[in-house]
Amino acid sequence: MKEERIKQITNQVVEQFRRSGYDVDAKEISKRLMLLIYEFKVPESEAIRTVKNWLIKELEIPKEKLVAEAPLVKIADITKPGQWVSLKAKVVQLWDSSSPSVSQVGLIGDETGMIKFVIWAKSGKGEVEEGKSYLFRNIVTDSFQGRMQVYITRTSDIVEIEEDIQIPPREIEVVGALVAIQQNSGLIQRCKLCRRVMTKGICPIHGKVEGYDDLRIKGVLDDGENFYEIILNEENIKALTGIDLEKAKQIAAERLDRNAVLSELKSQLLGRYLKVRGTRGGRYLIVNEVEFLKGIDKAEIEKLIEEVAA
Amino acid sequence: MNGVRRREIAKRIFAYEFNRSTHRIKPEEDKAPVYVLTPLGMRCNRVFVVGALLDKDEIKPDSGIWRIRVADPTGAFFGYVGRFQPDALESLMEIEPPELVAIVAKIGVFERDGRLFVSLRPESISVVDSETRDYWIYETALKTLERIKRMELKKDEDCKLAWQIYNPNLNEFRQMVKQALASLKEEFELIEEIEEEELKERKEIEEVEFEKLKEKDELEEFEEEFEFEEEEWDLSDILGE
Repeated sequence: MKEERIKQITNQVVEQFRRSGYDVDAKEISKRLMLLIYEFKVPESEAIRTVKNWLIKELEIPKEKLVAEAPLVKIADITKPGQWVSLKAKVVQLWDSSSPSVSQVGLIGDETGMIKFVIWAKSGKGEVEEGKSYLFRNIVTDSFQGRMQVYITRTSDIVEIEEDIQIPPREIEVVGALVAIQQNSGLIQRCKLCRRVMTKGICPIHGKVEGYDDLRIKGVLDDGENFYEIILNEENIKALTGIDLEKAKQIAAERLDRNAVLSELKSQLLGRYLKVRGTRGGRYLIVNEVEFLKGIDKAEIEKLIEEVAA
Repeated sequence: MNGVRRREIAKRIFAYEFNRSTHRIKPEEDKAPVYVLTPLGMRCNRVFVVGALLDKDEIKPDSGIWRIRVADPTGAFFGYVGRFQPDALESLMEIEPPELVAIVAKIGVFERDGRLFVSLRPESISVVDSETRDYWIYETALKTLERIKRMELKKDEDCKLAWQIYNPNLNEFRQMVKQALASLKEEFELIEEIEEEELKERKEIEEVEFEKLKEKDELEEFEEEFEFEEEEWDLSDILGE
């Protein structure tokens, strides 16, 4: 049992150094690990670190030559939770942290995509800045509500890099049909303290507090190939339907039902084609501009008919 | 994506291709969504259609299940709306046919004498204008032509399977697309209404399937795929819009 575990860890260490081009003595490593873990009762992670540090000193390995433990991947390659990876990425956006256990949270991106990151307060890692590129070493992947994200933990490293990671244009244009509008859309209430959406007068963070009215739609735009979860704000909704917050309140008052606003918006928008220009922010496409799709070019139709005939 | 199922894309398909889809792809695991393979090698589970709602009839008095018929330039879709599609039912009650509608629907399948029949199980129905209908025809024509091209290449697995099962006459489908596109021009002829025979056949099956349909409805309610929940971060706030 003990031997098995030691052998396992030894192999990991040997493999890691081998990848950097160094042959190390497995027997010696096992001996040291055995001593630290089972004689001195040092936690495994500490024992491993100690042995590695000793090897680095012993072999005079320059620090930058030692490859990261976790393989360097691109964001698009991250598809499974619980994987240890390293990423070269740019901090795209920092969000407000809602929890004292989170030091920083936001989005990082590389040329293949964007992903949400969380730096745990316990990790003790330095702060990152928006717009700067970093090597995130030994971070762990996870999935939350169907989206992937990465955690920076105590065993991770964040190193600022010179390279400016190029992120593909963030604003995209999508033409699609609005195939669903989520229930918590329409005339909603937000918490006065944190602007989060309240359900039945309750803020998920602050409980029963005073709220204020807002108009928004969360929906799904589908172009037959992909779907995009979109958020429309009051301005967007007004541009499409002519209904603004005042009008929405009026509708709710007249029909004595806040849900009447949602019904009205659904009847005007569901199943319609929208042209949306927006910014990809993790899970949502944040809408900058939205309009109903204008008619089709007759020449396009002629061209298609010819194509079929040919 | 691990563990959580992705939302199904709403495929664009003309009634002609839809009604000729008689092959179901058996789910590899329990609870996995059921897909229908169309004659042009497309897997679908959810569709988006725009057409003319021609009839709505309660299939038996007080059954609470309504049969609808929605026509596009190539044929007519059948659909069933029951109390487990509350949003669709609510809007349907307010619509008087004939009317142009957009429907987002899951595909319902039932089998009889070894043949599979497909129908729409609408999630939402809304009244739309003719511009929306026109764009749908254009978009669906475009996507159908892409499928025809892929069928010609015979490369991907679903196309190979479709050849094996349907051995489709691609020219017939090209003709169908042409017909649909022609309807977008001013001067066009409507194609033959859906074959009377098929209509009769369906009505017969309906009686038998009615009870099953009810049971199935109740089952399906729990099979709904993962849908969005309240967000953890509302970006629109953070961006200060």
